[in-house]
Amino acid sequence: MTQKRLRTLIAGFAGTLLLVTACTPGGQGNASPTPTAATSEKPQQGGRIVEATISDIATIQPILSADTASSRIINLIYDGIIQQDYKNGEPKPKMATFSISQDGLTYSFEINAKANWSDGKPVIAQDWLTGIKAVGKSQKTVRKSNFQDVEGFLDYCVGSSSSGCTGTAKEISGVKIDSANPKKFSVKLTKISCPAIIDLNGYTLPTQVFGKYVTDSSKDEIDTAPENTAPTVFSGAFKFSEWRKGDQVILNKNPDYWQGAPNVDQYIYKVVANQTAIANGLKTGEITWGNIQPKDLADMQTVDTIKITKYQNLGYTFISWNTLSPTVPAFADKRVRQALAYGIDMDQVIKAVVFGEATKQVAHHVPVQWAYPSSPLEPYKYDKAKAQQLLTDAGWVKGSDGILAKDGKKFAMTITTNSGNQERETLAQVAAEQYKQLGIDAKSAPEAFQGLVTKLTTGDPVIEANIIGWSLGGDVDPYQIWHSSQIPDRAKGTTGFGFTGFKDAAMDKAIEQGRNPTNGDCSTAARKAQYETFNKILNENQPYNFGYANNVLVGAQKTLQAFDPGSFSAIWNVHTWWIKQ
Amino acid sequence: MRDFIIRRLVYAVPTLIGISIITFAIARLSPGDPIRLFTFGIKDFTQEDYLRLLHAYGLDKPMPLQYVDWVTNIFRGSFGESLIYHRDAFVMLMERLPNTLQLALVALLIQLIIGVPLGVLAALKRGSWVDGAIRIFGVAGHAVPAFWLGLILIILFAVNLRWLPSIGMLTVGHDQWDIADRIKHMILPAFVLALTGIANYSRILRTETLDVLAQDFVRTAHSKGLRERTVVYVHALRNALIPVVTALGGILAALVGGALVIEQVFSWPGVGQFTFQAAIAKDYPIVQAGVMFTSTLLVLSYLLRDLTYAIVDPRIKVG
Repeated sequence: MTQKRLRTLIAGFAGTLLLVTACTPGGQGNASPTPTAATSEKPQQGGRIVEATISDIATIQPILSADTASSRIINLIYDGIIQQDYKNGEPKPKMATFSISQDGLTYSFEINAKANWSDGKPVIAQDWLTGIKAVGKSQKTVRKSNFQDVEGFLDYCVGSSSSGCTGTAKEISGVKIDSANPKKFSVKLTKISCPAIIDLNGYTLPTQVFGKYVTDSSKDEIDTAPENTAPTVFSGAFKFSEWRKGDQVILNKNPDYWQGAPNVDQYIYKVVANQTAIANGLKTGEITWGNIQPKDLADMQTVDTIKITKYQNLGYTFISWNTLSPTVPAFADKRVRQALAYGIDMDQVIKAVVFGEATKQVAHHVPVQWAYPSSPLEPYKYDKAKAQQLLTDAGWVKGSDGILAKDGKKFAMTITTNSGNQERETLAQVAAEQYKQLGIDAKSAPEAFQGLVTKLTTGDPVIEANIIGWSLGGDVDPYQIWHSSQIPDRAKGTTGFGFTGFKDAAMDKAIEQGRNPTNGDCSTAARKAQYETFNKILNENQPYNFGYANNVLVGAQKTLQAFDPGSFSAIWNVHTWWIKQ
Repeated sequence: MRDFIIRRLVYAVPTLIGISIITFAIARLSPGDPIRLFTFGIKDFTQEDYLRLLHAYGLDKPMPLQYVDWVTNIFRGSFGESLIYHRDAFVMLMERLPNTLQLALVALLIQLIIGVPLGVLAALKRGSWVDGAIRIFGVAGHAVPAFWLGLILIILFAVNLRWLPSIGMLTVGHDQWDIADRIKHMILPAFVLALTGIANYSRILRTETLDVLAQDFVRTAHSKGLRERTVVYVHALRNALIPVVTALGGILAALVGGALVIEQVFSWPGVGQFTFQAAIAKDYPIVQAGVMFTSTLLVLSYLLRDLTYAIVDPRIKVG
């Protein structure tokens, strides 16, 4: 998005489609995990970590953050009450333990006795409440809907009348703080929601700083609070020092961090122009760690001072078929979509486009998610003959010009993708070439991401086929992408991510039961069963060619110790990192 | 002269109004919706949320009304609040301006220090291999794409030789006032930014110097028995430099506007990079503030150039 902004936006999805999971009613969260260093050597103190980013941060206010760069800094200076396991995404206690009532409606939290702010004050339930109140007061947050199921939140929050916010209450009735223990509180929901535990992580903000923006008389002052860009009190491993706009964010160690002071003195978030600059900076030693591109991998592996870590991305790149397209009615036929799956050699495409650094996808969930189906799915191995047979079965016959036609209409399609994203542009070209071999008059057409997003989410029929990517982030709930209610409808003026127009009653039911089960069972096993059905339907119907899930390639100086990034978090144990001199 | 200045200033007003309309129209009419863009993929983000944000940023008003709001707010000293950063767009731009100015001024200095002597040398050695070499350098300076040269220089001097840094304007952890470190970071980007200017100056100076050397007063100076050095450097060069001096204002503005590519290649946190990223994200207030600022700078610098012309050459009158 340029590639830069694009990556930020798509990656922003990671922080937003939040996780869920093993939230068994009546279950009890485990103790906070103890990070372990990747080496048995005694960590050395001091030094500085420089992480490279290709986007500057936008804010240091969690309730306003909508991008991954800002989230990185926020996660380094503010701890949440819960966290996701960095490898499998399971929600776990962080600053607080949690339990869920038998009816699945009430979540109880107790904040760790050691959890404190950098000014010495304890982190208490009121701080969590300050965060959720700030969301309620803000006019510019994108998180209001995350709390709509909290009892009394809609009465408290301020917004347009259509949003459901009435602003009539002074408190959020569903949040109860234990009068005997200020570190204990409970949150009552209006309905069972399996993804709720992740949303309820909320934003624990220091009341001594932000409390003044969420008083009864406050309006939306929180949106412009000076502490949003220069915070003063912290609960995370690092303390904010300076934001040199467009250049770097400087954090100093928090010596009073409740999990133990970090080993390094400073953490710098350094903005660079692109991933080529990251690769160069790693080679020169100016950068401690950063993500690299597949095309640079072979070169980086020859650098003695750099170690490469790979892990699977929580997302995938796909080709969507607009099953409602008036110009390509063929996409409405399941056999045609299946033919388009068999008719592209995705393994070869992966080699050509991302140098083999990806895994072929044939359904929605990716292998690192617990919802990834256990039962086998149709792998859609490249089979040109089968693809041609399916097209013939669907009534498409090659004409004298070699192009498939049916009822006098030729099979022509345009695959759009966002311009500036080299990987996707190449994929579009390769896919168009391979589909031409089937007799389809396929073309690729790059288009600016800004315009493309609007067309997709508003259901513009001009989009026939499109390449884009999802970053699935935390929760496995696919409601926003695949539930039929999310299909944009231009006539009704509704928008959504269901831009294939594909719907299936059984799939809707599986999604609903995985999200708001009628029996209240939010256990992993119960939800996984629903997602087996869901993925099987998608696998059979192929509204997307599900493309591939990329590997994330991380380059780091070999001197960086205890560095152990995972699909769900790269900095989960940052306070234990150390620099070997 | 006062009338001249006033008249030129009056002429600048419709220009700036025109620029403001074009800037606004291009930013707003380009495809895409900024709210949809920065909320793409946000969990549980509803149509109601979308409408709330549209209203909060004033994007739900008719386009002409948005333009009037924007212009009115400019006169009140605000270019609007960034949709992404939630801060005043112009203030954010000004935070980055010193970085771009540093780069532009140093590049300008390099252009003059290298370009002027090269041009004079080429004129004095007209037809020789030196003249040919300078000409080739000039053509290459124009032809080589800045981004390509920047990357090659990074690989050579930063990655392979490790003599110079590859990114940013200061080594991480160094004090903001570490001048030596700052200079080290500036060498490569400033040189690449200056290259086209060096080629320009050497070409202009060569032509001008040859032109002046052929004039009567130079012949007179020679006939008076003055030394060659005095004739060239005191009499000829002073006259040959007039077009260079008068063009300085415009060139500085062009450097500020043209630093975009260099800022991208060298991760230099300047105005160009910032505005470019804002354009990608459709952050209207920043894009509009950035384009208006650069355009105003350009208009003012042309005004300055005309004034300089009028001062150094009284024959020039305003039309």
